[in-house]
Amino acid sequence: MSSIELTQIRKSYANGPEVLHGVDLSIAAGEFVVIVGPSGCGKSTLLRLIAGLESASSGDIMIGGTRANDLAPQDRDIAMIFQNYALYPHMTVEQNIAFGLELRRVPKRERLARAREVAEMLQLTPYLDRKPGALSGGQRQRVAMGRAMARNSSTFLMDEPLSNLDNALRVAMRTEIKELHRQLGATIVFVTHDQTEALSLADRIAVMKDGHLQQFDTPGAIYDRPANRFVAGFLGAPTMNFVPAEALEGWTGPREVELGLRPEALRLHRARPQAPAIEARLALTEMTGSEFVLHCESPLGRLTAVAPRAEGLPSPGEAIWLEYDAGAAHLFDRDSGARA
Amino acid sequence: MKPDLTSSRGMWVMNALVLAAGLMFLSPVLYSIWMSFQTADAYYAGHLDFTLSNYELAVAEYNFARYLLNSLIVSGVVTLAGIAVATMAAYAFARYRFPGGNLAFAAVVATLMIPSHITLIPNYLTLAKAGLLDSYAGLILPAISSGFAAFFLRQYIRGIPRALDEAAYMDGANAFQVLWRVIVPISKPAIFSMGLHLFISEWNNYIWPLVAIGKEDLYTLQVGLARLYRINPGEDVIDWPLVMAASTITILPVLLGFVLVERHLVRGITMGAVK
Repeated sequence: MSSIELTQIRKSYANGPEVLHGVDLSIAAGEFVVIVGPSGCGKSTLLRLIAGLESASSGDIMIGGTRANDLAPQDRDIAMIFQNYALYPHMTVEQNIAFGLELRRVPKRERLARAREVAEMLQLTPYLDRKPGALSGGQRQRVAMGRAMARNSSTFLMDEPLSNLDNALRVAMRTEIKELHRQLGATIVFVTHDQTEALSLADRIAVMKDGHLQQFDTPGAIYDRPANRFVAGFLGAPTMNFVPAEALEGWTGPREVELGLRPEALRLHRARPQAPAIEARLALTEMTGSEFVLHCESPLGRLTAVAPRAEGLPSPGEAIWLEYDAGAAHLFDRDSGARA
Repeated sequence: MKPDLTSSRGMWVMNALVLAAGLMFLSPVLYSIWMSFQTADAYYAGHLDFTLSNYELAVAEYNFARYLLNSLIVSGVVTLAGIAVATMAAYAFARYRFPGGNLAFAAVVATLMIPSHITLIPNYLTLAKAGLLDSYAGLILPAISSGFAAFFLRQYIRGIPRALDEAAYMDGANAFQVLWRVIVPISKPAIFSMGLHLFISEWNNYIWPLVAIGKEDLYTLQVGLARLYRINPGEDVIDWPLVMAASTITILPVLLGFVLVERHLVRGITMGAVK
């Protein structure tokens, strides 16, 4: 297990703009950290800097207490799983898994035993003699994990490893990765743009936007106390509703702010309730399984709410009232977007 | 209306056309092989005969066994060394950014536009100064760097996802191991194609061995073959069956080589045609 300490990391490419603007991140040994953000926010670049596949323009990368800026990838004791798995197509599953050990001159018998042990853990034993081209997406993903696990690295980097899988497999693999972390106790840095993955996997989440770290905290803290409007809007599905405070009927708090109301903080009424509420018209509904997502048109803009399936829903076009939970409202500065 | 090639009549027509085309290409080769087993007298008299004497004569009297060995050594070394140089150059051009890299690659591509005869005299003078004329090195060195092979392999390597290199680095490989353990095995179809191309080019090379070699012991097959035409300058009649026997000795190793790498070669030629 190794800790990772990033201090004032900047990265710019030749003749290009700066893509990371002084990122500080302190990852404890054995921690599962998810870096999340929209495409182009610099999350994969940050991961590649930790891996040593790219070099930082400035700043310090400390791995296990040692400055790693000038260390080659092979000297950092890090295993990485790539988005497209990057399996060696000319090698069998067994050779793919054992390749890292072979390069480290581990005796053949030992490395093959280790490859089989890892394959057993990942239920890949029947496929040891197959080449990657003859495997399904989920099997390839597991081989990529096996290749990383075989070396007993102290740190794992995962670059959107589940993004090429179908939904059912993604959910299953998410559980496997979580279980793997529990078993190995290794430090894991996992990059994704999928907020569900981030919330379900992470000990702590680093939210990034435009090369800046927006917030670094536990999933619960990020969900309950987002540092700014971007974080609030990025994490949580359906996304948070934003309304100007002064336009909200019955609002008694500060008025020069923007209010963030999660969909679950809005309660559907067919008639005007006693409590403060927003008058709206139901535009359309989406069933997600256990509940309905309601898309509503209101004078404050489009609002999203959720309602349990059991509840009798009005028809699209009907007038409704959305009672809001003032205590669950998040306040953001109108100009900077920071939490007020 | 389009012809239906899947019907049995369509298939027959297609097969007949393919057979006719194949025979058209093969007929000179088959004719020369047939002629190589004739005696000169029978051939000129228009009789049929069968003899191995032309082969015995070519090998025993005209030193073709030696020429064959020379051609094998020169073409073999040029192929292996040429592929090694071209693969390393291609890998560097495909994967590394370095000052002057684009200019260097443009220079490599530019060599494809220069006819080989233009470089004949500079190469001759260079090797003469180095004292390498009349040696295997004199035959081999100028042919090792193939701009075409470097260009071709570079394009192929660029098509290999860079993530494979990166995965190998993360697994603990150095740059040479990435090349040798990952890039080269994946590039096998392209490397075999280029290897065969280099081998055939060098095997068929006539001008440079003619210019660079004076010693008869270092003649390659092509030079030796041309020599058969002027064995008896006083005589008007050329011993065609003997020439054809020598020609057969010349083409046989190439055909054998093709059979050995054909599987890889066809994949190499069709690569890029489909994703």
